[in-house]
Amino acid sequence: MTQKASGVFNWLNHRLPIVNTYERHLSKHPVPKKVNFWYMFGALASVVLIIQIVSGIWLMFGYENTEEGAFASVEYIMRDIEYGWIIRYMHTTGASMFFAVVYLHMFRGLLYGSYHKPRELVWVFGMTIYLVMMAEGFLGYVLPYGQMSYWGAQVIISLFGAIPYIGESLEIWVRGDYYISGATISRFFALHVVALPLILIALVFMHLVALHEVGAGNPEGVDIEKHLDENGVPLDSVPFFPYKVLNALVAIGIFGIVFSIIMFFFPEGGGYMLELANFEEANPLSTPEHIAPVWYYSPYYAMLRAVPDKLGGLVVMGAAIAILFVVPWLDRSKAASIRYKGVLSKIAMTIFVISWIMLAWLGTVPVTALRTTLSIIGTIIYFSFFLLMPIYTSIETSKPVPERL
Amino acid sequence: MKFLFIAFFLLLSNSISSAIGAPCGDYGECDSFKPQLNNMESMQLGALTFINHCYGCHSLKYSRWGRISKDLDIPEEIFTNNLVFGKNVKLGDRMTGSMQPNVSETWFGIAPPDLTLVTRLHGSDWVYTYLRTFYEDSSKPYGVNNMVYPGAAMPNVLASMQGQQILSCKDVPIIASNGGVRRDELGNNITEEKCGYLKTIKGSGSMSVEEFDEAIFNLVNFMTYVGEPSRADRERMGWYVILFFIVFTAFAYLLFREYQKDYH
Repeated sequence: MTQKASGVFNWLNHRLPIVNTYERHLSKHPVPKKVNFWYMFGALASVVLIIQIVSGIWLMFGYENTEEGAFASVEYIMRDIEYGWIIRYMHTTGASMFFAVVYLHMFRGLLYGSYHKPRELVWVFGMTIYLVMMAEGFLGYVLPYGQMSYWGAQVIISLFGAIPYIGESLEIWVRGDYYISGATISRFFALHVVALPLILIALVFMHLVALHEVGAGNPEGVDIEKHLDENGVPLDSVPFFPYKVLNALVAIGIFGIVFSIIMFFFPEGGGYMLELANFEEANPLSTPEHIAPVWYYSPYYAMLRAVPDKLGGLVVMGAAIAILFVVPWLDRSKAASIRYKGVLSKIAMTIFVISWIMLAWLGTVPVTALRTTLSIIGTIIYFSFFLLMPIYTSIETSKPVPERL
Repeated sequence: MKFLFIAFFLLLSNSISSAIGAPCGDYGECDSFKPQLNNMESMQLGALTFINHCYGCHSLKYSRWGRISKDLDIPEEIFTNNLVFGKNVKLGDRMTGSMQPNVSETWFGIAPPDLTLVTRLHGSDWVYTYLRTFYEDSSKPYGVNNMVYPGAAMPNVLASMQGQQILSCKDVPIIASNGGVRRDELGNNITEEKCGYLKTIKGSGSMSVEEFDEAIFNLVNFMTYVGEPSRADRERMGWYVILFFIVFTAFAYLLFREYQKDYH
């Protein structure tokens, strides 16, 4: 029996690189032996991606992508499909948790300089994933066709109209109609469930391939490739399987606890994850008093509102995302990790984090004069952090980075 | 540095958050409502009130008759005979209401909204407060107004139970700038007349204030259930899932620690 099985395996392995791939990417893939909890969020992001894909497929069984049926079909999933509410809450909680772990993953990158040479491309692929996720999240939020779906889409799609010359036609082209309608829902549905997930999976694949080519970083910013054993394996590394898989398993367990607490006890996330206004079907004749995005877009929404001119706001918001792509070339520091960078970097990072959280909060509340001023200050700090980075990272003195991990 | 920023935000937060209006309109803060989704008797009584007093105008169109009978432990026969009006209604049907929206729009100026999700949209606190704050106001078409939602287009359907509720004035002590009650030379409290307090005229309704509050509690409890019929299940199952992940994490950690010995 076992002989037969190994015969089949050999037959397969001669035609498909099973052992090679397993060794290269799992059993022999070297990863730094000392990392901290910040290095777990990448693994968690891939777990959430799987949750989103699986729960998304199940949601499609009951969802109806029409103007008349969309809202009712979501309630149908919540009430009439056995355990449909689990599938739906898994998907809505998953969306928020996806952004949460990705933001923490990105912050880890900033903190420990994960974009430093030779990992620039890993960072750029990662940022592209984030950009696609933002589009994916927006499209998905429109599908239940509640009040906030409708009016949120109205605000975002009208941004296209601010572009000079082509704006108005572009707006109609994106919407597929003169106003948000069944045409908009069905195209957003197609993009949300087929087009963007395909791109997302392809990008995640590229992100991982590029990462495995250059190897994972560590919180010390030490280049582990400098000291190799006789087989060419870094001395400060351990194989990915089983060591890092077990590491990730602990992280997944803790993440599971957090995820279930939110999903089973606070699925609305206090109105920040599922906005309460979205429990009312879309009504083109009644504008909600206060249109706010879900929490994960709010820092950029605050920046959009900080600029009085619509086109200006759009440019600022776009630039805020675009600037993240070039961070590898803005950081001139010799040390990758914040642990060995100078005091200026540490101050800049602290102010940046505080202003980002402030912007996130400002994006969720109604506008007042004071809040607009705060949004402007926050936006200036956000851009200064990146634009001044070449200056403060080159004038400060960083501490010497150790040789070994 | 961080401390300075936190202090700065704490100072600002008061002046910033006050910009939002009170959640329950003229009433101010809503009265708190804690649903009891395992209290079958309360939800059954609430269902009775809903069908008898609300369902004439408002639908529960995402909910099905049979689901309510099953979830609320009401035997089908009793349920069909006492709560389901209409000969052609089957238990698997949705509760689409009995009033045509185009007709009701002519009657009320606005079609009475579907109430399946109202407790999720406004919150149960809001609905609980709204239903108890109708007062007599002869300037309005139905002779009543509402403190939570001034100008509401809904008549006070439950007036026969609650009785007449009016806005009244009463003498309240004046608070001095130091926070204490202001007194005259003789030590008596100085009072002023303030208006806008709800007062029910005793004996004008079939229920006392306490009985009415309880009836509304049961009604809103039922409506909270209808808003999310799986909620009791969700909160029950959640504990088991969390427990699973705690055990999972514990074992994963032990295994991780064992393997970590290889390279530490």
